Amino acid sequence: MPDVRGRRRRVHPLALLMGAVGLAVGILAVGALREATLSTHQPVDPDSQTELVLTAEVRGAESSQSLMELVDAQVKVCRLEVNSDVVGEIAPQGEHEFRAVLRPSMDETNRRQFRGCVEDWMIDHVRLNVISMEDMD
Amino acid sequence: MKTIAWLAGIGTAVASGAYMVVSLNRWEWNRALFFGLVFLIAEIGLATGLVLRRLARLEHDQRAMLDPAIMEILKSTRPPGRDRFSWLKESTSQTNVFITFLVGGGILLSGIAWVVDRVASSTTTPVGEERLARELGNISYPRGGLLVDDVTVLAQDVPGADDAQIRKLLRRAGHGS
Repeated sequence: MPDVRGRRRRVHPLALLMGAVGLAVGILAVGALREATLSTHQPVDPDSQTELVLTAEVRGAESSQSLMELVDAQVKVCRLEVNSDVVGEIAPQGEHEFRAVLRPSMDETNRRQFRGCVEDWMIDHVRLNVISMEDMD
Repeated sequence: MKTIAWLAGIGTAVASGAYMVVSLNRWEWNRALFFGLVFLIAEIGLATGLVLRRLARLEHDQRAMLDPAIMEILKSTRPPGRDRFSWLKESTSQTNVFITFLVGGGILLSGIAWVVDRVASSTTTPVGEERLARELGNISYPRGGLLVDDVTVLAQDVPGADDAQIRKLLRRAGHGS
């Protein structure tokens, strides 16, 4: 039986290099994800407004709940995650398109957070898709 | 088939992992949770598959390591199986232990039957008698006789009316009572 004591397994340099690259990529990816999900707020004009246009589709919802109600509920839940409030009512623009105005406007972080919330699976049977979020003059 | 299963597992893990990162980047937490769950399921499935594959390989290697010559030697030197019921076989030269069991068992069973009989007879007879007395009591004559009015009692004193059956009926009022 060969004596294996004292023998050290040799690691190929390429494997070492690949491991180092993988580790670096992993650290960078986690760091980037951390940056992308970190709130960094900027001051905004309190009188500024943002116009939100979105489409909504419903599938298998309760017959007593209208699409308008579902859209209204989800937008109002999501505006609690940012500093903006809905001004007036959410107005339908066609069969599946809706428009809302929010005040004050949002910084970049809030904008992404609000958009993510609106497009997320918050309420069963309804899916919203943001068409545009533009600052109003 | 195995290849398809492996590819499906790997594809599910990669796609769900990618979507999870994208959803996190878009601040879509519920979607990220869902894709994370799918990723976890795929990961557990793949890990289980890898472990099972390694176990199957070990088992296969162990089976392949068996030397057929050694197996043949072991087979040829295997001791014969014991005949555990040889004592039941007929024999003219020795007393079979089966007879001992038979006789002993018969005596034992007879003793148990005798004890059961004695216990049953000593317990059922008094109970049966009590039950019979209770049932007969319902149809027996009244304790004071059937006719107990004064006229009848006086009638017994009439000469020539000394009859044993009447006295029995009029137990309390008869001459003999």
